[in-house]
Amino acid sequence: MTARASRPTLPAPPPLPPPPGFVARLCIGTGEPVVDVFKEVAGIYSVFVRTLYFSFRGRAERGAVLREMYEIGNRSLLFITVVMGFIGMIFVYQGGVQAQRIIPDLTMLGATYLEYLVRALASDIGAMMLATRVGAGIAAAIGSMVVTEQVDALRMCAAEPVDYLVVPRFKASLVMTVVLLIFGGVVACMTGYLTARYAFGQRWDQFFNLTLVRWSDVFIFVIKCVAYGAAIPVVSGYCGLTAYGGSEGVGSATTRAVVNSALAVIILNLVISAAGYIVFG
Amino acid sequence: MIRSVCFNIGHGFLDVAQQVGGIAIMMVRIVSRLIPPRIDMPELLRSLYKMGVQSLPIVIVTALLTGAIGVIQAAYIVKRYNAYSMVGAGAGFVVVRELGPVLIALMFSGRVGSNNTAELGTMVVTEQIDALRALAIDPVRYLLVPRTLAMIFCMLVLVMYGDFSALVSGAFMSWAMLGVDFRLYYQGMVEWVELWDFATGVIKAGFFGVVIAMASCYYGISVTGGAPGVGRAVNASVVASAAGIFVLDFLVTNALGD
Repeated sequence: MTARASRPTLPAPPPLPPPPGFVARLCIGTGEPVVDVFKEVAGIYSVFVRTLYFSFRGRAERGAVLREMYEIGNRSLLFITVVMGFIGMIFVYQGGVQAQRIIPDLTMLGATYLEYLVRALASDIGAMMLATRVGAGIAAAIGSMVVTEQVDALRMCAAEPVDYLVVPRFKASLVMTVVLLIFGGVVACMTGYLTARYAFGQRWDQFFNLTLVRWSDVFIFVIKCVAYGAAIPVVSGYCGLTAYGGSEGVGSATTRAVVNSALAVIILNLVISAAGYIVFG
Repeated sequence: MIRSVCFNIGHGFLDVAQQVGGIAIMMVRIVSRLIPPRIDMPELLRSLYKMGVQSLPIVIVTALLTGAIGVIQAAYIVKRYNAYSMVGAGAGFVVVRELGPVLIALMFSGRVGSNNTAELGTMVVTEQIDALRALAIDPVRYLLVPRTLAMIFCMLVLVMYGDFSALVSGAFMSWAMLGVDFRLYYQGMVEWVELWDFATGVIKAGFFGVVIAMASCYYGISVTGGAPGVGRAVNASVVASAAGIFVLDFLVTNALGD
């Protein structure tokens, strides 16, 4: 009869660290989002710098910019027409109704609307729409290429993904954003006139009163168009390039692109509007 | 040439008709599951947390920026007519009736609507919806009904938070840029803005919630073609939501009147 082998005793597990206290949890809770936002901004800045570098020094692929111009510009035309058309109707109708509550005189309705349209409405709302449509499109296209390893294949061929994927979209967006926002402004102007005519009985010459539109407003409009046109492809390109993990990853990259592009538009809007008011006030 | 133009117009029309019809059928199915109301409570609570509580920071940031931008734009007119006492009234009207609901709906559609489409789309391409059907679980009752209810309710609540944040940031901006006292801002607002103006904004937000829910669920469950298909669906969903928000904004504003 053999003696039963005694079981080797396991060393006692190290004691668990004490749970974080209130102050530690507060620091983690506030610090984590700040670090996340900082990382995101640093990533976007890195893509922006590389995009600018390759815009001048990169290898230009024949026809790529034109293809993207068609994708960003022509294919957004119907969307911008519908949205800006309704925006024009809504603002003139609401503006007229609210103005009638305070002052019964509507002779300056057209002039004030056109001033607001040029300075803010056409560029800001139009750019929010483009951030949604174009930003989601760019992130979905680049994100699909990332998760199907096509971007890794590009790197294997010694090609820089930013040069091939972001730069053509950046150049196309710079041109087409200006064109689309001007077009959207014209559409909003026409639908605004039709609303003023049929809802408040305004005449053509009464509505198209450009006395309140200053050159500084046009200047702010152009600056905003260029800033939005540059920001949307860079932000959404960054979101697409950082996608990971199959179809779920493409979905989340597209979501991030829409939110971040729209936020970029709102922040740029605040900065440019405040600067414009301080300079031209 | 003429043939191709006709083909494109017809094709586009059929495409839109198919999507509108699909959304209408889905809406009927969702409503039919609500009579009598048998809702999956854990899924509803999970959706409310994900869509409402987790969207609060982005909604408040958007609203704070929006309120500030609104006052900067109004500053030109206020200075021209020397109407400093009307800043609160102007900001109140614009924020509670139009800018608040519309911009918060756009942000909500970007964050929650597209996330919902991506999640449902991923479930479709990884055949999880088929697995639900194989287990005799109705995907409409289990997945779509709680999400739709959660989105509508979250929009209603988030717009209230958003309106408040935008008005507060507007008050600070008008104090900093125009030197308008907080009391004057508040007085102008309560004197001119009525409860009905606020109610109009909240009712609109409910309609926007319906549009976002319908578009995001429809494009999510009709995904085809793997990961690129999910990306395309998310794109289509945010575009349809945005267009729907502005069309409904016009219709609801006219229907509700002054």
